[in-house]
Amino acid sequence: MSAAETAALGNIQLLLVDDEAFFRSTLKKRLQKRGITLLEAESGEAGLAILDVHPVHIVISDVKMPGMGGLAFLERVKADYPEIEVILLTGHATTADGVSGIKAGAFDYLTKPIEFDHLISKIQQAYSLILRREEQRREAELRERMERQMILTERLAALGTLATGVAHEINNPLAIIRESAGWMEMILAKPEMADAPRKADFEKGLDRIEKAVERARRITHQLLEFVQKPEKKASETDLAVLMAESAELVRREAANHGVEIAFDRREAVAPILSDPYQLRQVMLNLITNAIHASEKNGRITLGLENAGDALVRFWVSDTGAGIPPENLEKIFEPFFTTKSPGKGTGLGLFVTRGIVARLGGAIEVDSALTRGTTFRVTLPRTLLPPAAELPSPEQKRQGMFARLTQALSKEKE
Amino acid sequence: MIKIPTRILVVDDEKDFVEMLSLRLEESGEKVSVAYDGQECLDALAQQSNDIDVVILDIRMPGMDGIDVLREIKKRFPLIEVIMLTGHGTTESAVAGMKLGAYDYLLKPADFEELSRKLEGARKRKDEQEERIRQAEAKLLVRRTGGA
Repeated sequence: MSAAETAALGNIQLLLVDDEAFFRSTLKKRLQKRGITLLEAESGEAGLAILDVHPVHIVISDVKMPGMGGLAFLERVKADYPEIEVILLTGHATTADGVSGIKAGAFDYLTKPIEFDHLISKIQQAYSLILRREEQRREAELRERMERQMILTERLAALGTLATGVAHEINNPLAIIRESAGWMEMILAKPEMADAPRKADFEKGLDRIEKAVERARRITHQLLEFVQKPEKKASETDLAVLMAESAELVRREAANHGVEIAFDRREAVAPILSDPYQLRQVMLNLITNAIHASEKNGRITLGLENAGDALVRFWVSDTGAGIPPENLEKIFEPFFTTKSPGKGTGLGLFVTRGIVARLGGAIEVDSALTRGTTFRVTLPRTLLPPAAELPSPEQKRQGMFARLTQALSKEKE
Repeated sequence: MIKIPTRILVVDDEKDFVEMLSLRLEESGEKVSVAYDGQECLDALAQQSNDIDVVILDIRMPGMDGIDVLREIKKRFPLIEVIMLTGHGTTESAVAGMKLGAYDYLLKPADFEELSRKLEGARKRKDEQEERIRQAEAKLLVRRTGGA
């Protein structure tokens, strides 16, 4: 017997449908003795009403019942609750019903009078089938999620290379524009230019040029931060202290927006070996975004927890408008922003994600429209691998896969 | 008080940048010469090393890159101060430059006020250094003449 088959009967929720009250109560007592949680109904109609409010794993149903018969009931159950397994009970003379029942999706049928141990073993088999299916579904989900992450990671890496290359090339012409405008401003400020015609117009134009250069410079420098290599040496990083400090740094800005920042969970997490400066940047980016996403009287909650032996996790939650599903995949791309021009560079999350990835971690987002957004950052307790032996791209891929699997399966537990 | 101009050599392969920055520095009263690559910079210094206080040096240039030029400057003209300019996001090469004796570094496009402050600091460091050497030489001279 596999582990699933010996699974405790105590986890099973069962609905027993039979019009004979005495049969029901006898069977109920015996099944309850084995630890099964049991609901009962005297007809198919009553059974459906119960399932409506109380989903179960397994239904045991008599076939011959007044009103809705067992087979009709089975069809309705399989149509509305495909996850539920149905075991039919038939009389001796009606085994044909049992066969049509199986064709209609029943797990199996038993002939009355039933042998109790036989019934128990059928229940166990049905339940382990349910567990297996559940496990497969979870695995498929996990795989899909990882594949999505990988595609995203690769696309972001390519975009990153391109964007930083562009940023670098733009800095030189930007410097020329800035020096030219600055030079003209200096000339305009000379005493001999005091009465120059339309001087104010020129000054206005030059001022706009300088502001635009500053804006462009912010973008290119932020982009180039992305390619900056992490500090060679990781140092002891106390995430709780770092979070408190980061929250303190933006508390005034939050207050200006009418937003409150609080801790909702702060487990004792031992200091990790990482890069505190970059992590502070990550936290500041996430909290600042949360502030901007919040309405007045919004609330930002920060949390920190242990995630198994090798990982720790912190999160930043807001009660803001949430991110539309169609944007969820784009938010980490460079230059994706929903802020008005000049307000956001569209690089905050791109850079944040880059830093987290370089520190061997993963960032995930959960968002519900009108309810808010949560960003979770999972980090290894020790920053690996050491900078001296950088892995090949394939190794990196596997490493990321392994870490992700680990992080996500931990989460499931 | 009349400002004594800082004598600056601007080195960058971006000709328009060199021209504009020079005009601006001159406008604010500095004395500027220019070079468009590493070799030109070293040649200029070899001819007029006593007429240059600070070199503004781009790190990324074709041929001899800024770091190599810096190394050479510090070897041959140790008193001349160097401010590195970089369009690079990686500040690493700039930090390497600091270790090789550069006075400071700036990311392009740099803020002119910041550049001016750094130029002033570099100039001051050079003046102080020269003053110390003068005093040491004077002491040496006194000791010699005193001993005679």
